[in-house]
Amino acid sequence: MTDKNILPAGFESLEPFVEYWAGETNDIRWDRRSRASMPDIQAFYDAMLARAEDAIQHLEKFPLGDMPPAEERLFCLTLSLVHASIAVELHEQPRAIDSPFPHGLHVTRGPWPHGGGMGQSA
Amino acid sequence: MAYDTETARPDFARMTPADLDTGPVPCAPYISPDWFELERERVFGRAWLCMGRVEQLPEPNSFITREVEICKALVLITRDKDDNIRAFHNVCSHRLNMLVTESSGKRSIFNCRYHNWTYRNNGDCTGIPDIKNFFGVDKKQCGLTPIHCDVWQGFIFINLQAEPEVTLREFLGPYAEAYEGFPYPFADNAYVIESNLNVNWKQIADAFAESYHVAAIHPATIGNTFASKSLNPFGRPLSGHAYGAHRVMCTFGNPDYVPPEDAHVERLAYSGMDTGNVLGGSDSKKLQDLANHPAANPTKRPNWGADVSWIFPNFNIDYGPGGFWTHEFWPTSVNSTRWILRVHVPEATSVRERIMQEHLACRFAEVMLEDVTNTQAQQRAMESGAKTHMHLQDGEMLIRHSNAVIRKWVESGSAREALDLD
Ligand code: FES
Ligand SMILES: [Fe+2]
Repeated sequence: MTDKNILPAGFESLEPFVEYWAGETNDIRWDRRSRASMPDIQAFYDAMLARAEDAIQHLEKFPLGDMPPAEERLFCLTLSLVHASIAVELHEQPRAIDSPFPHGLHVTRGPWPHGGGMGQSA
Repeated sequence: MAYDTETARPDFARMTPADLDTGPVPCAPYISPDWFELERERVFGRAWLCMGRVEQLPEPNSFITREVEICKALVLITRDKDDNIRAFHNVCSHRLNMLVTESSGKRSIFNCRYHNWTYRNNGDCTGIPDIKNFFGVDKKQCGLTPIHCDVWQGFIFINLQAEPEVTLREFLGPYAEAYEGFPYPFADNAYVIESNLNVNWKQIADAFAESYHVAAIHPATIGNTFASKSLNPFGRPLSGHAYGAHRVMCTFGNPDYVPPEDAHVERLAYSGMDTGNVLGGSDSKKLQDLANHPAANPTKRPNWGADVSWIFPNFNIDYGPGGFWTHEFWPTSVNSTRWILRVHVPEATSVRERIMQEHLACRFAEVMLEDVTNTQAQQRAMESGAKTHMHLQDGEMLIRHSNAVIRKWVESGSAREALDLD
């Protein structure tokens, strides 16, 4: 486990998911979920969902947009749960039914923080 | 919540205006290169075009650049220290290099990277290096070429005619009257989804202009929120109006929608919210003003989903109980389009709210994916030439009206004539 995968104390069991799932922008998280297999999505969803409420309560002790690196990582991982849930709870498959991939749509600016902002200004 | 089941009745009022032809609509405008040339000159070359909102230039000396590919226009929009908003061709007067290459920023002076000519953000040319070796060049004659620019309710419009035949206000006409004083909540903050699509610009605009497709195209994402098997199985709009060259539709929403029992993350994301609108961004009281405005959900029915308001030719301002979002449809060729969706939401103030916004953005992106990828197949099918006309129902009035207005502008000798102003 490298430093860049470290999560806050108490969340160590989620560290194996960090490298793939803690994408830093909305667009990266969408892309990662879209490329993942359903068993991998489900495994992340199950593990993260079990700790989601704890993660939110832990993160709410820190200022939004200015958290220590391990907390920001946990935040991105929690945001990725939302993407996993689109596959699990809406589509029941990794991507929208009948949609091509790659599809060429990009979230060029996501909500702040950890949305990403490669496109035009708000 | 008491439902209004009126839409399910066969005699529910139709929205297609009496003066609109109800016959089949030709598809040549979606596939014909000749028609595209006419649109270049007569639609985009003459209409007022929305470039964005003033909040995209948040402070004195902010600037943005834009492109209107169909007219080959490169646009620089500036806000000066006195908050005047101006538009220019983004072209240097020396050897006509593109002046500003960033999409946005803050600067009062622009210098051309080729030979360092400089310009102030009011368009004046302020510096010509080694000017003594030019042949009587006059700095005063070397400013940036202005583009006519005006602002309506915070929306910045340009007109590419050398002298616009109509003012922005004349162009917007009854639309501007209907939306006088309309609030645009969270105008300073948006998330953005963009794509370049292999489809005629009207095809993608049409995809957002009717709710007849919701049950078929969006069964998992919003099928249960913008249609309802029992109450409104075909996504009948609640109302629709033509406002001069522009048009508006009010769509059905399922106000009792709650996430299913096993949608754990969806439930988590919306915990602490009392709105059921899955495309809404916030339940702030600011939104009450929007819902109460006479133009929003004009019949004030309880089962309101969202309104689509389509400003001719290529701009949508859509809104619902949760706020507003805009679509831009920029033609890049007869069968390609640059599409930009901006969804205005408040800046998150808590982790929980931020997670809810991720869910909104995710779901919106999935809905868009279902909408826009379908249109690319539709474009190919249209181009096959198998059919020459399409059949539109009453709920597709906006598409019929758009086609009629575009045809009128293409066939009219002037913008004034197209708007019935003479
Ligand atoms: S082209 Fe701009 S300075 Fe020469
Ligand atoms: Fe749709």
